[in-house]
Amino acid sequence: MKNLSENTFSVPFGPQHPALKEPENFMFTVDGERVVDVKIRLGYVHRGGEKAFEARTYTQGLYLVERICGICAMAHQLCYVNNVEALIDIEIPRRADYIRTIIAELERIHSHLLWVGVAGHEVGWDTLFMYAWRDREVVLDLMELTTGNRVLHASNTIGGVRRDLTSEMISRIRKGMKLLKERTNYYKAMIPKERTLMKRAVGVGVLKPQDAVALCAVGPTLRASGIKRDVRRDDPYSAYDETPFDVITYDGCDVASRVLVRVDEILESIKILNYALEHLPSGPIAVRLPRGVPAGENVSMVEAPRGEDIHYLKSNGTDKPERYKVRAPTLANWPAVGAMIKGGYIADIPIVLAAIDPCMSCTDRMTFTEVNSAKSWQWSRDELRRYSLKWRGK
Amino acid sequence: MAWEVGLLALLSTLIYPGIIFLVVIALFYQWVDRRFYAKLQNRYGPIYTGPRGILQPVADLIKLLAKEDIEPSAVDKQIFRAVPVLILTMPLTALFMIPITGTWALASFEGDLIFIIFLMTLIAILAFLGGWSSTNIFSTLGGMRAALQALGYEVPMAVSFMGPAILAGSLSVSKIVQWQASHGLWAILLNPLGFGIVIVAFLAELERIPFDIPEAETEIVAGWQTEFSGRKLALIRLALDLELVLASGLVTALFLGGPTGPIPIIPGIAWFMIKTLVLVLIFSNLRALFARFRIDQMVSGSWKYLVPLSILQIVMLELLLGWLSF
Repeated sequence: MKNLSENTFSVPFGPQHPALKEPENFMFTVDGERVVDVKIRLGYVHRGGEKAFEARTYTQGLYLVERICGICAMAHQLCYVNNVEALIDIEIPRRADYIRTIIAELERIHSHLLWVGVAGHEVGWDTLFMYAWRDREVVLDLMELTTGNRVLHASNTIGGVRRDLTSEMISRIRKGMKLLKERTNYYKAMIPKERTLMKRAVGVGVLKPQDAVALCAVGPTLRASGIKRDVRRDDPYSAYDETPFDVITYDGCDVASRVLVRVDEILESIKILNYALEHLPSGPIAVRLPRGVPAGENVSMVEAPRGEDIHYLKSNGTDKPERYKVRAPTLANWPAVGAMIKGGYIADIPIVLAAIDPCMSCTDRMTFTEVNSAKSWQWSRDELRRYSLKWRGK
Repeated sequence: MAWEVGLLALLSTLIYPGIIFLVVIALFYQWVDRRFYAKLQNRYGPIYTGPRGILQPVADLIKLLAKEDIEPSAVDKQIFRAVPVLILTMPLTALFMIPITGTWALASFEGDLIFIIFLMTLIAILAFLGGWSSTNIFSTLGGMRAALQALGYEVPMAVSFMGPAILAGSLSVSKIVQWQASHGLWAILLNPLGFGIVIVAFLAELERIPFDIPEAETEIVAGWQTEFSGRKLALIRLALDLELVLASGLVTALFLGGPTGPIPIIPGIAWFMIKTLVLVLIFSNLRALFARFRIDQMVSGSWKYLVPLSILQIVMLELLLGWLSF
């Protein structure tokens, strides 16, 4: 809490702070209620996941990859199996593709509803929070019904999916979607009309389209700046090449647009789900695999609820990957946050931070990123040790 | 005899309708507020302690009183210790000037309305001092916000209080209640706008959504209360509950005819409880409806809309009185 000058002082946000559900440190320099500067320090939940992949077989990695993030578990796992299946070079049954799409979209609805609630909470409107999270229970119950787990579904396996959808499950998903469609339409109609919420969201955390592209924003954050970019559309995987849906964009470039993009995306997800359930092909849900994964490397992309998730796999022909790299969507969005927050108010910090739907546990890997200069670097163990000594000496 | 009068005065100050009674209804209203707020949000609210969770506020109070009282080494000790005690005495003192059982309050004098406004300003100043003495960055920000917020709501609130005072021709809360009782007319009928403004201003005074800016959880943790713990926090929480009673009691006295009603058999205290309960429910309902404003939006909104409207109300009232030739 040192004084930088006469009028500015530093406000620490985190690693423990009520606005942050996960530990991360933001040092804001403020002048009165205005934010002048922000420094982000990542790495509080670094768990050495990427190294852990190298010590595990491909099948074990399947369950490790989910644990990168509890909310986007399906997205990460889908990205992983796409990678491995591409290296093995097998076609998985069409029915498995469809089931993957269904689970992925259920997860998107779950994540977006959760986010709408959190957004309400960040601006002090706990009623929206309670309502949205109540409705989210519908999806979680459907997840449990179809995969056996509310989170960390472990529904995929290399070469297909683990569990089939029965006709009873399908009818229950349909019923759940009907209810959720009604609720989401209610939110969609209500949110733009709720003036206190809009006062906190319109014109707040502005990210201009050219900045969004230059700073590599992804997902709903990017689409709220009017850029039509979605991996599901641009580089389809699973059954997205067959399911019709619209890529939602809003051009408000502010928090309000990010809310509306997500609410609309829930409706699109319901549309995809209904189509997928309607056109679910019959057949097996998994194929038998040849032994081993051939040497080579592959990059796969999945549109996680928070944006584009990129995984890189390098195989040396053994039963363990030689290198596995994850670039989670939140990491891609951090540089944009710096641009959004500067010049705003302290009161806007929580909602602007929340607006990218940050997932710290997804983000914290070996790479250190300084947002101000948008440069990233990697540290060896010695460098890390030196840094920790220096840090402690402060 | 003199000692009997003295004893009666002492008992009425300490027990009924004095300190103990006020604390009990403050805790009861906290339960009503929490329950109703929870119902609006599709939750249960407190249900375990006592029948329907009615004893939860008491349990919370006892728990806080028994907890460790941490004083950070950097705090300004004298102010930090004084603030919780002083902030509790403010709404209690103000409540003595509000008629609860009949048309007379425990203490009443010409101009006590001004004194109540003064006490309520002191509450905001104490909040600022509490935040400032904590020397925590969140506390300091919260304290500054509390002071800024007071600049926003004090003026329209005080101006709106003048409506009933003009009607009764007195600045005494008890006299205003008596005027309403003798004319059989509630001041809200002639001051509807003033009533609304006072409700909004009290939401800000009570630091409730949409004006919980000084303690905005997601922004500045607990605002000016961040560093308070144990006994000190218990006293502050109790003071905030008493403030809710004060707010609803004062609005009842000034606008809703105080502890009197159209059916004479029902005693004054029952009328007081009914009217204040309705007001508490209104406060809880408003709390569930909105998102939090930013401090700049709150202050500018208050000066842009509330102040002109409150003056308009006074002008309308004067014109109406001239036309009716009261």
